[in-house]
Amino acid sequence: MNEAVTNLWSVPLLIIIPILTAILVNLLYNKTKAIRAISVGASIAVLAIAVLSPYGFHWFAGHPAVNSDGTYTFTASVFSWKLSLEYYYGPLQQILIGLMSLLLLFTVLIATKSLSKNLGPYLAIIFLTYVSAAAVLMTNDFYHLWIAVELGSLLVAGLVASSGTAYAQKAALKYTFFSALAGSGLAISLGLILGLTGYVNITDAIHFLMSNDLGGMYAVLYVAFAFLTLAWVYAGGLVPVHPLKSDVYRSAFPHGTVLLQTQSKLMLVAIGIVMLRLFGSLPFATDVMLVISVLTMIFGVVMALIQTDLRWILAYLIVSHSGLVTVGLSLGTYRGIVGGIFQALNDVIYMSILLICCEMLLYFGKGSTSIKFGGGVAKKSPWLAAFAVLGAMAASGIPPFNGFQSELILLQAALEQGLPEVAAVILMVSVSTFVALFRAIYSIFLKPEPEKTSESYVGRFKMPDVVFISLVVLLSISLILGVYPQLAFSFINESALKVVLVPWVP
Amino acid sequence: MDAKELRGIKGVVAAAALFIIFFGVFSSFLQLEGNVARGISEEYNKLAYKMAPNNLASWVYDYRAIDTLLETGVIYVGAVVSVLVLGRGLVRLKVPEEDEIVKVTGMDLKTETMPVLLKYFALPVVILLIAYGLLVVLEAPTSGGGGFQCGVIVSSAYLLSVIIYGKKSPFEIKKKTLVALGAFGWGLYVLMGLPGYLTTGYWQYNVGSDLWSWLSSFPGEVPEILKTVFGEPFKLALQLKEGVFYATSGILPIINIGEAFNVIGAICLIFFAFIYGWSDPEEEKLE
Repeated sequence: MNEAVTNLWSVPLLIIIPILTAILVNLLYNKTKAIRAISVGASIAVLAIAVLSPYGFHWFAGHPAVNSDGTYTFTASVFSWKLSLEYYYGPLQQILIGLMSLLLLFTVLIATKSLSKNLGPYLAIIFLTYVSAAAVLMTNDFYHLWIAVELGSLLVAGLVASSGTAYAQKAALKYTFFSALAGSGLAISLGLILGLTGYVNITDAIHFLMSNDLGGMYAVLYVAFAFLTLAWVYAGGLVPVHPLKSDVYRSAFPHGTVLLQTQSKLMLVAIGIVMLRLFGSLPFATDVMLVISVLTMIFGVVMALIQTDLRWILAYLIVSHSGLVTVGLSLGTYRGIVGGIFQALNDVIYMSILLICCEMLLYFGKGSTSIKFGGGVAKKSPWLAAFAVLGAMAASGIPPFNGFQSELILLQAALEQGLPEVAAVILMVSVSTFVALFRAIYSIFLKPEPEKTSESYVGRFKMPDVVFISLVVLLSISLILGVYPQLAFSFINESALKVVLVPWVP
Repeated sequence: MDAKELRGIKGVVAAAALFIIFFGVFSSFLQLEGNVARGISEEYNKLAYKMAPNNLASWVYDYRAIDTLLETGVIYVGAVVSVLVLGRGLVRLKVPEEDEIVKVTGMDLKTETMPVLLKYFALPVVILLIAYGLLVVLEAPTSGGGGFQCGVIVSSAYLLSVIIYGKKSPFEIKKKTLVALGAFGWGLYVLMGLPGYLTTGYWQYNVGSDLWSWLSSFPGEVPEILKTVFGEPFKLALQLKEGVFYATSGILPIINIGEAFNVIGAICLIFFAFIYGWSDPEEEKLE
């Protein structure tokens, strides 16, 4: 595959198709059949593009790069200063965007099946959420990173507020308010880097930093790092904003949370990698990231343990597992980065299984997922119970599922760095996840059915076909990655190596 | 928030955090003073006039075109989300849910109490504002203005007319039209990337000014017809002392117009929903 190409055909389509789809479905508003056809078609299209695309760059607006002798070039194989805004599509982008596209398809299918009228604006927000995460993953430009994160924050609020309940609107408002602070922080950070280097292209800025004596300019770098960390924390819902993010995860419809948590995890990975590329060699930078990650793991899982509603349990576990993702990145080593990215990939898959099961429970339990209402669901819907149990096993790091493999790598990475205490916390999170999930699963699915009350889950339940197929596909991927993790490594390894050895290369 | 809440440990933490942030940002600004690197901006300045007769247009709509596309998206999404909170497009599961939807109603706007004098003066002001907005967007390639500014000016005209005349405003726009205006605007901006993509492979390549076809490493070629269609209507020929200066801003003016429609649709829709609330036709029939 020719990676030097600067007009890679697939990159604009991954952004433009969802945008046009969002515009169209918003316009169609309540024409459900047309909206469904367009949305499903667009989701399949972006999935196909993500899978079939070769690797390379796209220099938007087609301006060349400037060589050191002042001549211009359109090839990316040699270093030159970029005039254009640059996107890169490599193996890491392929696997992450490919997975997100698959989840987009499932989300669209479930949303069009399970939601009532006036779907247009809601699906528009879903497609644009996809755009924001894809842009963050592909861009190699500070300013564009900022715009994509800003757009993403606004969309999270929209997705949450779309249910129209007081609680959801409050959660959306709080999140919007604080994410405005994070967005401003990110703007200050990139403003400082731009002032220091003169380049908005991340590769060019890193080149400048590495090839120039910064003298006494370290305060600028540390302040830029601090504000970038703030944005990272808000985008991913790390400590201390974990209550806001868990509110968001709980308040959206579970199928919406599938895409929300995917967006968060992918942003954590993408921004985390930018932080490592830029500030990885700055003393104490990775230590700060590590402390935030460990606290997130602990706070998230402890909060999950005391919840009595499956939606809340999942909301806090998603936060806690975000800490697992970032702890790997924060170690800053090759193995740590591989573990962190692999964890993000796995986490997105098994949490999606559990969230979709949760949505089915909403039907089953007359709108409730409280463990107090439970009992006997396994008898009425054995498939749903099986998916929930297997998804919980994957989330708890039990072999042969994917969660086991990534947590094992994270443990190895922590021990290699001489940090057994971090390894102990990772183990604790794994065990606590098991306890939190199986306590709820036992109460809802496995416990004998209580005497019939108006609050118990009623009747036999047949899962819609789209939900069944979605769960089978996701569980199969979870199992395949658990048995054969090399499949994912072939996409992740190169990026991890670049971050460690040649950080200026996207 | 009550100021009393900031007493005690909360206040100390807040003050310390503010001090650290202020100290950090201020000290970094001090370090940057006199050390700001010009970097790529020198190259931008050198080339800017070749793609549009002013730097602002070339930076915002050419070098940073995809950036501005997503920024335009922020305005579009802002409208979609704001109006959604007010009731347009709220969705429910097809099962009973624990929580009820919050009903938001519009403002209690009483235009009949407006002084007659205001009603007489508002109409010409609205017309002038719209004309000024159009001037700003059409002059965008040669001036500091642009689509966003035009959108804000025309939206102000709309707001003024609604406040003064209410639903019987001479500048009345239906809510479906407002949604369509926003969609048309952002859609037009998006689609302006297509000619460059199909001919050169680069999304948003400015086919009208066609700045880089002469380079041997440039992978595509822009057909003459596209250069003419997108270039000629916006060709600018200025007589300078050194001789004839020729420039064409190509697709940039059209992008500006797209942005203007997007902003008009988005901001007017937000005004509309805040003032009148939102109810769908089916619900209106029920009422």
